[in-house]
Amino acid sequence: MPTIDRRLVLHFDWTVFWIVIALAAIGLLSVMSASYGGPHKHLDPLVVRQMIWIAVGAAIMLAAVLFDYRALQTYAYPIYVIALGLLIAVQVIGHSTGGSRRWINLGFFHLEPSEFAKLAVVFVMVRYFREEPPQGGWSLRQMIIPAILLGAPVLLVLKQPDLGTGLILVLITVTLVFVSGLNWRTMMVLLIAAMCAAPLSWHYLKPYQRQRLVSFINPQADPLGSGYHIIQSEIAIGAGGPTGKGFLKGTQARLNFLPEQSTDFFFAVFAEEFGLVGTLTLLALYAALILRGAWIARHARDRFGALLAIGLVAIVFWQVAINIGMATGMLPVVGITLPLVSYGGSSLILMMAAMGLLISINTRRFLF
Amino acid sequence: MNAVFKQRRARVGWMTLVLAGLFLMAVLRLIVLVEFDGPRLVSLAKSEHTGETELAAVRGPIVDRNGEPLALSAETRSVYARPAAVFDTTTARERASLAAALGLRPRELEAKLAKPAPFVWLVRRVSPARARAAEALGIEGVGALSEYKRFYPESNLAAAVVGLAGMDGQGLSGLELEYNRLIRGEPVELSFYHDALGHPIFDSPFALRTPEPGAQLKLTIDSSIESLAETELASEVQQSGAKRGAAIVLDPFTGEVLAMANVSAQPDSVHDRLHNAAVQDAFEPGSTMKGILASVALSDGAISLNKQIYCEEGHWTIDRRTIHDDSRHGWLDLAGIIEVSSNIGAAKIALGLGANRYYDGMRAFGIGLRTGIDLPAEASGLIMKPSTWRAIDLANHGFGQGVAVTPIELATAYAAIANGGLIVRPYVVAAAYDAQGNVILRHTPQVMRRAISPEVAHQVNLLLRNVVNGPNGTAHRAKVDGFIVAGKTGTAQMVNPAGGYYQNRHVCSFVGFLPADDPRLLILVVLYDVGHGHFGGLYAAPVFSEIASGAVRDLNIAPVDGHYDVAGMIPVPGLGKAGKELDEAAAPDSGDEIPALTGVGSPATPNFSGMSLRRALAVARKIGVTPQVNGGGYVVAQEPAPGAPLSHADIRLTLAPVQGDEPEARARLVTAGAAVPGGAL
Repeated sequence: MPTIDRRLVLHFDWTVFWIVIALAAIGLLSVMSASYGGPHKHLDPLVVRQMIWIAVGAAIMLAAVLFDYRALQTYAYPIYVIALGLLIAVQVIGHSTGGSRRWINLGFFHLEPSEFAKLAVVFVMVRYFREEPPQGGWSLRQMIIPAILLGAPVLLVLKQPDLGTGLILVLITVTLVFVSGLNWRTMMVLLIAAMCAAPLSWHYLKPYQRQRLVSFINPQADPLGSGYHIIQSEIAIGAGGPTGKGFLKGTQARLNFLPEQSTDFFFAVFAEEFGLVGTLTLLALYAALILRGAWIARHARDRFGALLAIGLVAIVFWQVAINIGMATGMLPVVGITLPLVSYGGSSLILMMAAMGLLISINTRRFLF
Repeated sequence: MNAVFKQRRARVGWMTLVLAGLFLMAVLRLIVLVEFDGPRLVSLAKSEHTGETELAAVRGPIVDRNGEPLALSAETRSVYARPAAVFDTTTARERASLAAALGLRPRELEAKLAKPAPFVWLVRRVSPARARAAEALGIEGVGALSEYKRFYPESNLAAAVVGLAGMDGQGLSGLELEYNRLIRGEPVELSFYHDALGHPIFDSPFALRTPEPGAQLKLTIDSSIESLAETELASEVQQSGAKRGAAIVLDPFTGEVLAMANVSAQPDSVHDRLHNAAVQDAFEPGSTMKGILASVALSDGAISLNKQIYCEEGHWTIDRRTIHDDSRHGWLDLAGIIEVSSNIGAAKIALGLGANRYYDGMRAFGIGLRTGIDLPAEASGLIMKPSTWRAIDLANHGFGQGVAVTPIELATAYAAIANGGLIVRPYVVAAAYDAQGNVILRHTPQVMRRAISPEVAHQVNLLLRNVVNGPNGTAHRAKVDGFIVAGKTGTAQMVNPAGGYYQNRHVCSFVGFLPADDPRLLILVVLYDVGHGHFGGLYAAPVFSEIASGAVRDLNIAPVDGHYDVAGMIPVPGLGKAGKELDEAAAPDSGDEIPALTGVGSPATPNFSGMSLRRALAVARKIGVTPQVNGGGYVVAQEPAPGAPLSHADIRLTLAPVQGDEPEARARLVTAGAAVPGGAL
């Protein structure tokens, strides 16, 4: 642990810090809302737990600021291997909820390896692309190793099954590959390959996943079955109106019409209670965070830092985009949480650590 | 380095643009959802979250005119379950103990819980103790709600009138149906929020009102008369072999129904509550129609009391059809035709009257029209349009063939003869009271129209007395000790739906009223589907007599001496104008006439001369004195004299039986026609 440089404090990125705290606070409010009216009079254990996680996350975020992100060049592969190991472990000793194995019970904590895998994939990709690409950009052949590095965790995640995280891993990698400099020919080839693979992948989807796609195209085909989530979510958002029903007054969530209220369908619950004003505020916070991240990437002194910043921003961005796309009926239902606000320790703490790294990148551009 | 740095910045810039574009899409989508789809989604949410259920109110009791309960509601508990919750939280053993507590077999319970519903009833309407036992197990998803069970304490008393209320407290027939909105109370329409599994959420902010209990219905029915009517009717149904019977007891002046009995040879506790033949079944009345015919013909002037009609010695052919009488008669006047119930005589009167005039007269009596009684599904009788009648049809209508009436229709028509000519609307509900005892509905007698003049009513009243008391009368069995009865028998073959009439299936009836000189009770008895015999008098009249005898005791109607046919005709001075006023005073609802009798300011002793005991007592009651009475029959002397100041309430009346010469008496009555009881109504 390096000693605390005065400049670290001087150039500390308060923008990112306060946005993260604001988002975490919003998340806490909605966990309170979701658990309101339950059996517990004052503080529901869920709320207490989320508060603890926010505190722990904040501490880790500050610790990450002190951490020199360049050391990740050394640790990227070991971390990646650990992530793969955890993904394998979850298949063996993982806890099953709702038909998929996603958790490892550590006693005090439910570790979600797929959350960890997102960071690990960012690290390892950034590590791989840290060198400047040859003239004209990366060629197709140089994409083989990243493909393998991406393929292993994606397959393991899909095995859980967790389509959402698999999709996020792919999107993060695509974003990094794009930013790291791909030659146009490679990009076209990959694009065409992806378009060809899409219909084929239908065969590899599980029946419920196919149903979700059908429901996405026509939710009314089965309004009480697979189309249910989309319809209920849209209802919640529409019912919230411009200004919302007010804190703790949402009925869609309160009456359990919406599933996964504090995780996957957080956004709909929030929209119902706080309306368009609330959702646009939330989106503005995310947009500010992402733009700030992009700004940090543009101003980073080294290529590794810039790519790392893009990777971290990409995690936030794609999760937000897919989650909101899903809640508003623009995308099929896949289980993806809203970063920093959704209930859940693994996701929250790791995202706060990632934001700590982002601050670290911005702070350290003055150090060298 | 600088070039590389710039290139990198450019890529990051592009990336940011793409991300910003996607973000913008999300924002646009949100605005579309809220601003354009908003109203639709809001209403979707509302319909999805709110459910409606009724917390049933306590159904109001139905009581007779003296407060005797005929229908009551008792609280019961119904145990429900939310199967998903129960299965989540219980073991098979716990469910078995729940089954035991509810008195179900475990397999039955599992079957109920296996239904794919968010809410199921496990047992309904059990005792509170049983429900408490189930609740005491503390199984999540099992609870109990209050429901009310209707029961009829007097078992089948007035079953068809009271009707039936269903399992969920809805009226199905009878008064339970007709007054459902009053007696069901105000169920609380719970527009509550329910969750996605349909579980109602009763807690705040959706405050719970308590249901408003239903109103109490107080009937005009008198339980003891009803019970008497049902008992007598049932025993006659057994003895005569009739399939069923109906009886109606009315107050002819007010239209209050004192009893309405329906009896089947094979009682059925549900069907007997659903069907009320007394208001829902039409039948061919037969000879009872002759009383109506006589009224119409006298009103019209088509016949006079002393006109003689030749009755063809029992056989008369018109339109190649032969009309038969039960006994051979030659020349008869109207009184004779009614007394012996001559079909030929009635046919000739009808022919003399003409189709249109007879038709209009019957309509004035309400034949073929609903009476408007406050019971559901009232049927109307049936008369064909006179334009379709041939001569034989008109002749047949004269003795009640080819026309159909409901019992209540016929009773109402005869009530008009009894009360001086007015068609009153019959009713069974006197009043309704809310839970606090406030009157929310009160029925008062309602006159629909005048059918005949008081004079004609009284003439027919006298004619009908002969049926019971005349030497050749067909209904001697209708006599009631101590009272003069007026009435008419009727027998008709039942209509065969396949065409024509059944030879050996009859409807026998008797309709009459008493005391004939001031009718208090109108009673109709109908026996359906009697297999043998021809005379309504043989079967229906004794039932009338039994019901009437009991009813006059119950109502404390003072008997008059049983001498025939002299009321109001006693040869004593002062009968003229004063007598009329006294008659009016004696009639119900004519209390206003009293000051005219007694003089304004200084009360004077009324003239009791010629009054029956009952009427004298009624007049005395109105001026607040109780006379000492000697003898029986009619007042022949009084002390103090009429007109003397009524300073002390000590009046002595002396009564004596008076015999009158029949034809002379009749003639006098015609001239004193205005002195008809009820003329003041």
